[in-house]
Amino acid sequence: MDDQICPRCKTTKYRNPSLKLMVNVCGHALCESCVDLLFLKGSGACPECQIPLRRTNFRIQLFEDSMVEKEVDIRKRILRDFNKKEEDFTTLREYNDYLEEIETIIYNLANNIDVIETNKRIEQYKKANKEQILKSKSKLGREEYELEELLELEKQQEEERKLELIKQEVEMKKKKIREKEALIDELMFSEADAANIVETFASTIQATREEAKVVPVAKVTQFSTGIKFGRQGQQTFMPVPKVEEGPTYCYKRIEQEVEGPHPPGWQEMESGGYIAHVRSEKPAEKAGGFKSNIACLRALQEAMAGLYHNPSQRPPESMAI
Amino acid sequence: MFPMSSQKMYWIFSDENDITELREKTNSEFIEKHGVNVPRDQREEHFLTTSEERILLKFYELQLRDFCRRFVPPMPRPTVATALHYFKRFYLRNSVMDYHPKEILVTCVYLGCKVEEFNVSISQFVANIKGDREKASDIILNNELLLMQQLNYNLTVHNPFRPVEGLMIDIKTRCTSLENPEKLRPHIDDFLERVFLTDSILIYAPSQIALAATLHAASRAAANLDNYVTDTLFSREHLPGIIEAVRKIRSMAKCVEPPTREVVRSLEKKLDKCRNQANNPDSEIYKQRMQDMLDEDDLRDNEKYAKIIQDQAEHDEKVLGVSKSLSPSAL
Repeated sequence: MDDQICPRCKTTKYRNPSLKLMVNVCGHALCESCVDLLFLKGSGACPECQIPLRRTNFRIQLFEDSMVEKEVDIRKRILRDFNKKEEDFTTLREYNDYLEEIETIIYNLANNIDVIETNKRIEQYKKANKEQILKSKSKLGREEYELEELLELEKQQEEERKLELIKQEVEMKKKKIREKEALIDELMFSEADAANIVETFASTIQATREEAKVVPVAKVTQFSTGIKFGRQGQQTFMPVPKVEEGPTYCYKRIEQEVEGPHPPGWQEMESGGYIAHVRSEKPAEKAGGFKSNIACLRALQEAMAGLYHNPSQRPPESMAI
Repeated sequence: MFPMSSQKMYWIFSDENDITELREKTNSEFIEKHGVNVPRDQREEHFLTTSEERILLKFYELQLRDFCRRFVPPMPRPTVATALHYFKRFYLRNSVMDYHPKEILVTCVYLGCKVEEFNVSISQFVANIKGDREKASDIILNNELLLMQQLNYNLTVHNPFRPVEGLMIDIKTRCTSLENPEKLRPHIDDFLERVFLTDSILIYAPSQIALAATLHAASRAAANLDNYVTDTLFSREHLPGIIEAVRKIRSMAKCVEPPTREVVRSLEKKLDKCRNQANNPDSEIYKQRMQDMLDEDDLRDNEKYAKIIQDQAEHDEKVLGVSKSLSPSAL
């Protein structure tokens, strides 16, 4: 570990114990302070291979060999897209071929063997399996989530159990002391035979101990079943946020009152020859979505609308201004 | 479309008497409100009567049309028609003496331009006005909201121009006996010009006006459209109503006559005396009121700031007080 050294500023772990090496996608390490310095603007080039990098992609180096780090990184990225499962294949052979292919790709990328060709292959795969990737991704996400929850639950139960044990131990100690005291009291003040008293005490203690032994066993089984139950319980969905809703919207066709002779419709406009008397649309108008039949229809509709209007029939509603 | 429009709901009246009644009511309300100091027998002398108001309005309607015709860039006809609509609607429930027509006129045209998507800026607009342009743009912008409010925000106006196009298409398609229907157009345009100076646009549907214009043009151009109307367009039961409407529109359009200059001049003099000075931008009252409004705004702003500052001070005090008791030095 002591030979950890930042390739840029040559600081070693020995000189600066708080040295943290960070890596990015290219696999070249840099110490934290160098990252701060170089990537002040959020992005920049790797000082070793000049690849443009983003600051946000930097993370702390977990493995001593940065090549391993790089490989892990690539693997993570590749597996995000190549996320088929064994169930997705009909034969084991196909699945194995698929895994082999993934390994080849990862190896190629990690060791810079025809990167362009490989990237092309990945793109191709991505394009071909777009839907599949998305589906598996969501499934994977859900599974991961479930797993995490399971672990969390287990941890919690473990803790509970530990607490229980400590409590029991304390209790036991207290009990022992009490029993001892009771025995001494009995021996001090009782007039019965000492050997007899000791024997009865020993037998009662034995009995209680057996009793006590049964209880924790029962608890343990409960825990283990609890986990199993918990697993079934994992299938819960995210709670759907409740929204105050009125009655659902129901589409109603707008009834256009004509109040006049019925104007021709779309079909009649063509068949009746109305369209021949309107200038045809210019290319610019057509590009905007306006066609001559729209103008024609509207003119005809407006010409007919309200022709039967009879002013004396209905006085206008009084309006407050 | 027209049958479901606000135009039909609120701005179409049953006949001319209806409109006259409304105008009389507006007139008398104004006199009641502003004529308290004028003896009852002198009121007629002092204030404009409904008919005098009508004459003035007719004059200004013509003015509006001429203003729009001279407008640069040239204004499309629907814009002019919409502006005229607004002008008529405004003076149904407002008296000429309350708001001077010359101010409302330009405001109507300006609003019409906006609504009919004839895009001119206010500076471009006032370039068409003679006289003090800054003052004119002030007047327009001040009155714009008032106008919209008085129109009850019913800004969509259905004009007869599109129905005319529709009728022409229909005639060309279904009435092939008529040769060259395009020759009707000049007559139709003439007729529509005149119709807009009458009250028929407040009584009849735009399609009816379009039909009247077309039929009028046909009679002028010695073309026969009777068969088209009686057989193709309408069934028998609707015919009498429509014929009556067309007849009425035509007769109304016939008796348009511009008021004479002398009459208008004398009426304007009278108007200058009796108009509501609170709405006259040249009057002292108006200026005073504007100034008051400005001051009030300032005052209100000042009050607001005073309150904010006070709140801030209170808040500071509270926070500082707490931090004091928490700090070890205070213990």
